[in-house]
Amino acid sequence: MNIYYSCGRNMEQMVQGILVVNTETIPGMMITETLGVVSGSTVRAKNVMRDLTQGLRNIVGGELVKYTELLEESRQEAIGRMVADAMSREATAIVNVRFATSAITASAAELFAYGTAVKAE
Amino acid sequence: MADVGGLLVLGIILVILIPFLLLALIGISFAIVYPVMLLWAVLFSGKKLDKQIANTASREASLRESLGRDPLTTIDGGYRSGITSCGVVWAGVVFGPSHWHLLIGLYNNLIGGSIDIFQKVLSAGRAEAMQRLRESAVTNGWDDVINVRIDTSDMGSKASKNSVKAVEIFAYGTGVKYD
Repeated sequence: MNIYYSCGRNMEQMVQGILVVNTETIPGMMITETLGVVSGSTVRAKNVMRDLTQGLRNIVGGELVKYTELLEESRQEAIGRMVADAMSREATAIVNVRFATSAITASAAELFAYGTAVKAE
Repeated sequence: MADVGGLLVLGIILVILIPFLLLALIGISFAIVYPVMLLWAVLFSGKKLDKQIANTASREASLRESLGRDPLTTIDGGYRSGITSCGVVWAGVVFGPSHWHLLIGLYNNLIGGSIDIFQKVLSAGRAEAMQRLRESAVTNGWDDVINVRIDTSDMGSKASKNSVKAVEIFAYGTGVKYD
C-alpha cells in the first residue's frame, strides 16, 4: 500500500465542499464508506436563431462554437446537480464519475453525469 | 361592437400565424443562402480542415515542448507519490464535416471500403478535444491528467434530414497536482 500526502482541494471544489474525480480511488485519501450512486442531469434546447446560424456554419464544416459553449454550460449544471445530490447525502467526495450524452429530439440534448458518493478521509 | 369582435379575431389569427410566418421566413432565407454557402464549402472546406489540423498539431507540439511530456494518461492507479490535490477536468468540442465532405462520403459509400474523409474530420475533432483537455489542465494548474476517457456522441438526429450533422467529442479525466 502506498502512502500519500493528504489530498487537498482546489478553490472551485472548496466552495462546493466536495471532491469530484473520475478515478476509482482518490489519490492520497482513504474511502471509508460508500453512499450509493448520485446523478445529475439537464436537458438543454438550442434556440431557433442558434440553430439557424449553426446550421449555416455546418455547411462549411468544422467546429460549431455555439453548440460547444451550450454543452459546456449544460455539463456544468449537470455536475452541479450531482454535487448537490451528494451533499444531501453528506458525502465528502464523488468517485468514478462518468458522463453520458443523448439527443432526445434534434433540438434538445440531455447531459447526464453520475458517480459514487463516498466518505473519504 | 362588431368592429371590436372582428379586430379580436384578427389579432388571435395573427398570434397563431406569427410562429409559422417566422419559420417560413427562416426557410426562405436558408434556401437563398444555402447554394452560396455550398459553393464556398466546395472551394474552401478542405483547406479549412487542413488548417484546423495544422493548428491543433502546432499547439500540441508547443505544449509538449514546454512541459517536456504529454500530461494525459489513460491509466488509473500507479500514481506517483506526493499528490497534493486532485479534481475532475473536462473539455468538449462539437465538430462536423462540411456538406461537401458529406457529398464525397456519399460517393465513397457507393463504392464501399473506408471513408477516409470522415476519418479525417473525426480525428481532427478528437485531436482538438484532447488538446483542449491539455490546455484546460494546464490553466487549472494540474500537473498531470490521469484516467482520461473520450466519449463521442451524435448531435444531429437521423430522423430529420435538415438537422445539423455533427458529433460531440468530449474528453475528461482527473487532474492531479504533485508537490
